[in-house]
Amino acid sequence: MARIRFDGVSKRYGDVIAVRALNLDIHDREFVVLLGPSGCGKSTTLNMIAGLEEASEGELWFDDEVVNHIPPHHRDVAMVFQSYALYPHKTVYENIAFGLRMRRIAPAEVDRRVQDAAKKLEIANLLRRRPSQLSGGQRQRVALGRAMVRQPAVFLMDEPLSNLDAALRISMRAEIKHLHEEMRTTFVYVTHDQAEALTLADRIVVMRDGLIQQVGTPDEVYEHPSNMFVASFLGSPPINYLEGAIEDGASAPVFRRGSLRIGLPAGKLRDVSAAPVVLGIRPEDVMRDCPAGGPVLTGVVDSVLPVGSDRFLGLKVEGCDVFVRVDKETRHAQGERVNFGLLPERLHLFDKVSGGSVFGGAA
Amino acid sequence: MIATPVRPRRLWSQRLGRTLVLWSASLAFLVYVLAPVAWLFSSSFQTEREIVSKPPHWIPHQPTLQNFAAIFAAKDRSVTYETRRAADPATGGYIPSTAASLVPAIGNSLIVACAVVVLNLLVGVPAAYAMAKIQFRGRPVSIYAILATRVIPDIALVVPFFLFIRNLGLLDSLWSLIITYLAVTVPFSVFILVSYFESLPDELDKAARVDGCSRLQTLTRVYLPLSLPSVVAVMLFAFLASWNEFLLALMFTQTPKSQTLPIIVASFTSDFTISFSFINAAGVIAVIPPVILAVAFERYIVSGLTTGAVKG
Repeated sequence: MARIRFDGVSKRYGDVIAVRALNLDIHDREFVVLLGPSGCGKSTTLNMIAGLEEASEGELWFDDEVVNHIPPHHRDVAMVFQSYALYPHKTVYENIAFGLRMRRIAPAEVDRRVQDAAKKLEIANLLRRRPSQLSGGQRQRVALGRAMVRQPAVFLMDEPLSNLDAALRISMRAEIKHLHEEMRTTFVYVTHDQAEALTLADRIVVMRDGLIQQVGTPDEVYEHPSNMFVASFLGSPPINYLEGAIEDGASAPVFRRGSLRIGLPAGKLRDVSAAPVVLGIRPEDVMRDCPAGGPVLTGVVDSVLPVGSDRFLGLKVEGCDVFVRVDKETRHAQGERVNFGLLPERLHLFDKVSGGSVFGGAA
Repeated sequence: MIATPVRPRRLWSQRLGRTLVLWSASLAFLVYVLAPVAWLFSSSFQTEREIVSKPPHWIPHQPTLQNFAAIFAAKDRSVTYETRRAADPATGGYIPSTAASLVPAIGNSLIVACAVVVLNLLVGVPAAYAMAKIQFRGRPVSIYAILATRVIPDIALVVPFFLFIRNLGLLDSLWSLIITYLAVTVPFSVFILVSYFESLPDELDKAARVDGCSRLQTLTRVYLPLSLPSVVAVMLFAFLASWNEFLLALMFTQTPKSQTLPIIVASFTSDFTISFSFINAAGVIAVIPPVILAVAFERYIVSGLTTGAVKG
């Protein structure tokens, strides 16, 4: 059982503020992913949960207890590190057992848990090796095992998959998700990989410069980003931005850039007169056929980039580069003028100055 | 096609030339370094007459253990002007007047060196861990401060040290040496250990603490086993520095109660007459403890020199 609550928590290193007035409520047994670029404060936040860093201000709660001053070895947390941080002088078995031995668990129980975890992680045959004799993937499993056997109330992971190759990373994602379901405990996971966050999280916390940008389910964060930073951080290739202005149309407001006019959904805009604005279109949110009366994106094909499963087209739209995804059968020639249909409810509109979303409320 | 028959021959001759140069340079260096040591060993088994003979004998013609026997029998022999006058200098029949202090001095040197090693580790290891892994206010300053003490030559510290030791009433006591040697060796030990601890990943420290270790347990259970090479380097350094130290020992010790090996051996050369056979035997005995240490820890010394490069 562990609910974690940040109440106005800040962390300073001298003059540098790593985390600013963080308020966050992580529910018991939730899988929360802290997502952001390097230096956004996500690892600092994780270290504060572990007790490896002490908050400069504010209170950190575990259930009904303030834990600010409780050292890591008195907190019921386990952690997996990016570099795995296995003890080089101990065997795999001793690495996994170490946390239990430090907590004076009976030797028979230690052995049972280590064997159990090793079986689950398929490393039972490696128990007598040393970390230096293992591959990256195997080390990762040992690191997971070391955290698993502790049966902690909070399971922390700091970019655990970043050092693995792409294929292994995807299979380990599934295993981690599995692990969460099995352990039924609170997971806090730090990553800069948006795909990892979208796959794993119950809720994603997007951070930048020590500030939370948005908290929400993967769908919420992806479909309704609260600002341009969140919108561009999630999705690959990233969302396209077109700067322009808003005009009143016949029935609904219209986005205008040069000769381009795109009708916006009626009644969603917070403030129609907000100008200048930035229109966001995700590469996958275009259709080959244009429904009558619906918004249309017109551009000239500048580049064609097949990626196997799909093709991406680089378009020139009113002097801007726009990437769109089309299916792999579609053939376009360079220099061809193309029209794509857009779904009004899939468009994103931001205030150019503040970067915040101009669409009011989630659709 | 054309070059193939020529190239191997040229390579072969080049390789031979390079090998020859390397071999002769290494040999010259070895002779330079080892010749005095070899002479020390050889002459410690020679009689006084053989030592001063011309040309010198590198291999003793009449090897003898009497020089070593004289060291351990010294306490039973009285050395006076009369006994010396009666003895024949050429046969080594006399011993220096301070000869009886040699065996106690070996004991003193061992006690001081071992105490300095142990205290160096007790003070240096936790200090280095704190400086390498714990963020605290004034951490960079403390590292620089501790290093700065090493740029001051010992001679500049002799007078302050002397006043300090005298006011503590520790003159002519082994403590005077232990305390001052610590002041001289600990900064360097900390410096070696800090750089080694810094090379170990921070995540190891974090992992240990999350796994349930206190700071002290992190140090003893994770960092210490991993830093054995640098710990051994520190032990050797502290031992040798104390074993060889002369200047401070000369200032603070006055009687055989606290005099160490270098002081006693040096006193042999300022006697009425000089007994090379006795001095050389004493020199060989002085070499033995460091050699034993070096051989015992050879594995760690070599890995300590290369660990920086192969840290995984």
